[in-house]
Amino acid sequence: MSDEKRTILDKTMNRREFLRMSGLSAIGVSTLSWLLPGCTSNKEDVAVFETASGVLIHESPRCTGCLLCESSCTSVNDGKVGQQLARVKISPNYMYGQNGVSGPNWENGTGEMGNFKLNAELCRQCEQPACALACPENAIFEAEKSGAREVDPEKCVGCGTCERACPWGIPTVDTETNVATKCVLCHGYSACVSVCPTGALHFVSWDEAIRKYEDHFRTEEI
Amino acid sequence: MALEGGWAGKILRVNLKSGEISHEKTEKYIEYIGGMGLGYKIMWDEVPAGTKAFDEANKIVFGVGPLTGSGAISSGRTNITSLLASNPFHGVSDSHMGGHFAVELKYAGYDGIIIEGKSERPVWLKIEDEKVSIEDATLYWGHGTFQTIAGVTAIMGGDSQVAAIGQAGENQVNLSVIRTGLSHSAGGHGGVMGSKNLKAIGVKGTGAVHINMENMEWYKLNQFVLSIYGANNQHVVPRTPQPWAEYDHPGSRWTAKEGLYWEQADPPIETGVCKPEDSNKIGYRTMKAMLDLGANGPKYTVRMGGCAACPIRCHSHVKVPQLSKYGVDPYVANTCMGFYAPSSIMFKGFNVDGESKDDATVIGRSLGSHMADDYGVWCNYGQLARDLKWAYEKGVLKRVLPSAEYNSIPWDKLESGDPSFYLDFYRRIAMKEGELSRLGEGAFWLDKRWNLGEEYWTYKDNKLWTKVGYPVHHSNESNGQVGALISSMFNRDAQCHTHQNLIGSGLPTDVQKEVAEELWGSKNAIDEPANYTPMNRGKAKFAKWSIVRNVLHDSLTLCNWMWPMTVSPLKDRNYRGDTSLEAQYYTAVTGKEMSEEKLDQAAERIFTLHRALTVKQMGTTNMREEHDQLTGWQFDMDPDKEPFTAGTIKLDREDYEKALTMLYEELGWDSKTGAPTRATLERLRLKYVADELETMGLLPA
Repeated sequence: MSDEKRTILDKTMNRREFLRMSGLSAIGVSTLSWLLPGCTSNKEDVAVFETASGVLIHESPRCTGCLLCESSCTSVNDGKVGQQLARVKISPNYMYGQNGVSGPNWENGTGEMGNFKLNAELCRQCEQPACALACPENAIFEAEKSGAREVDPEKCVGCGTCERACPWGIPTVDTETNVATKCVLCHGYSACVSVCPTGALHFVSWDEAIRKYEDHFRTEEI
Repeated sequence: MALEGGWAGKILRVNLKSGEISHEKTEKYIEYIGGMGLGYKIMWDEVPAGTKAFDEANKIVFGVGPLTGSGAISSGRTNITSLLASNPFHGVSDSHMGGHFAVELKYAGYDGIIIEGKSERPVWLKIEDEKVSIEDATLYWGHGTFQTIAGVTAIMGGDSQVAAIGQAGENQVNLSVIRTGLSHSAGGHGGVMGSKNLKAIGVKGTGAVHINMENMEWYKLNQFVLSIYGANNQHVVPRTPQPWAEYDHPGSRWTAKEGLYWEQADPPIETGVCKPEDSNKIGYRTMKAMLDLGANGPKYTVRMGGCAACPIRCHSHVKVPQLSKYGVDPYVANTCMGFYAPSSIMFKGFNVDGESKDDATVIGRSLGSHMADDYGVWCNYGQLARDLKWAYEKGVLKRVLPSAEYNSIPWDKLESGDPSFYLDFYRRIAMKEGELSRLGEGAFWLDKRWNLGEEYWTYKDNKLWTKVGYPVHHSNESNGQVGALISSMFNRDAQCHTHQNLIGSGLPTDVQKEVAEELWGSKNAIDEPANYTPMNRGKAKFAKWSIVRNVLHDSLTLCNWMWPMTVSPLKDRNYRGDTSLEAQYYTAVTGKEMSEEKLDQAAERIFTLHRALTVKQMGTTNMREEHDQLTGWQFDMDPDKEPFTAGTIKLDREDYEKALTMLYEELGWDSKTGAPTRATLERLRLKYVADELETMGLLPA
């Protein structure tokens, strides 16, 4: 790890409050052994994360499936373009929705081939990030400015535990570098939000996100 | 020389007869860029002259290019090259499709797929990154494209992309498509897949396209492109007057405005005012359903859609609950001819009980679109409908169909405007049922079989462009000789939009003329609409440039419905676009320094190879007389008007010959015959082509 990066990380860790929680730590280890047979960890600390500066939200009715969000995400963060690595995940369910073809009545299900409704999986920057808590190398940390949960590429061993731990499968191991990546809110810039041609993606404060969802549900009631 | 960015580096070769699956290195093809260029090169090298489209010796090439999947704006297209059965001499031709198949193929690690040989039983091709296998397709054979695509996806997973043929392709109907996604069809080559017993190709890719430019620089280049993007077809002014716009034009596809909604969205979404600088509203600019489906289109619109990496959403996605009455799913999507072509099958209009005329139009067009797509029938750019109308109204059908067959066709539905006529009509075409299904052979073969006579070809409203048997597609109505020349150069309807986009941009002719002077050295390259001037050098240069860029886009691959960026919506740029962007993209992605001129030359190489393939296949150098001649109505229309007067798009015979000569000269082809010369072939590094043509006696003197 470069000295510069170590300084940044140290700073972040100092700002954060680390609590030694032996009970949770035990759960962490046992979870790990379930997620990743054969992989051992001497991790004893569990980090408490502060709320990130905001969250990405996806307004499905506006999404038309161009996937420029995915290509911008990967070009900006990885210097290459692909769908697998994208942290905004629309393509996995693009065609036939979350239930896929095997779901009942796919013709009227979600997705391009169904009722046209496209769903996005986005990183929630969770308060208790399953990815970070599960990481055997403690490689996922909270970025100082954005509060995004980021992967330290120097620590990551590419085991994929984070990917499996996340309920939405957001972190993804880059098979070329063998390092996991996840949404870092573009360090405060959000390339996906900026490129979306229909304004379907937004980076909003948590309060605003809740307000938007409330508005949406009010509309539905009418 | 390793390929470090853009290209995946390998091309998949699948022999359906032997079952052998192998790879070619892309490196040896990069002078041909990719996509269309790759297709022609392989056809030249590997398919002997005289081969017919459905012969086992024919091959079909699915080609993508260095920009496909790179996130370059509007880079989601697949180019398909093979011999075309509807063409009289089975000339080489391309069909194209958008959607997400192309990018998926790149992420799987391929710049193309070469399909050769013929399987003994129905199969589909399964591609999961480097894992490629030929699978049994017995289960799907006989089914439509929707069920086939769903079936393959069920096996491969929701994150795969599938291209498939319907029954029309299976039955080797000349006019058949290869379809992907919900609404993307490549017209013309479905039967080639059918002849090889190949029902579908499923692709799943987990890799990535590498960009040889610093991350944020690449991002900024794309942001710049977005800043000069217009609406569909690069129309750069709004359709209606808006406070921000200096100009507006009633023909523009920049249709967004206050009060125009995607009405079936939940909640309804207003397209609203979309200013050029608001890049997060580009996707609303083209509210296509009001054009595709008429006045009530917006009432049924859930949203717009389109292709990978394209902010212009030109496909109308509509929910039409009335379709359940016809046993069809209410969700339908398509664009342009996907709706218009079925619509004109019902040439007496639509009538649906209890529905307004405008609602009946939406019901009819969406039902026709779905049926054509499911059976996989190609419209030959609208010609299928005109052929039906001609044969019906001229009594040809009564003459050539056995009376039992004639009486079994529900003509009363056609007469009364009942859209359920489609269910019967498309089935007959796709299943090759009876004599009526000859309509699916295409204009040339139809005339041969039914003896339609000279009047069929010369009747203006039949819109037949040349005796090769395809119709107008932005032809003499598009800047006179420029569109006319472009339309005569291919082996099917020209799919060139370079010229049409500029002319249709909505900018005043004076501004277009300034652009023409900058690009082709003459303001006279562009005329006032339907007020043409005689042929001049500027028009020849404009025509050549249009074709060259069209071919370039289908090779890179970029969408020629949007590219090139000849003009922009920006007043502070004096409405200028940037024609160097393709070269900038190429350099950025591949890391290989490329100039605009050099890239245009590569595309000229590809187009000249297309011409050489046509010479080789036709067995004559006399392209002027045997290939490029018009059907005649173009010179004889509007009998009370003279060519080059206001209010007519009429051409002049002598002037057209002069136009051909000038274009041949610009392309370095023999000015008498229009065949490529040795000097030109060698200039374009096609010496091997010249050598082969010489041994066949097919080099002009």
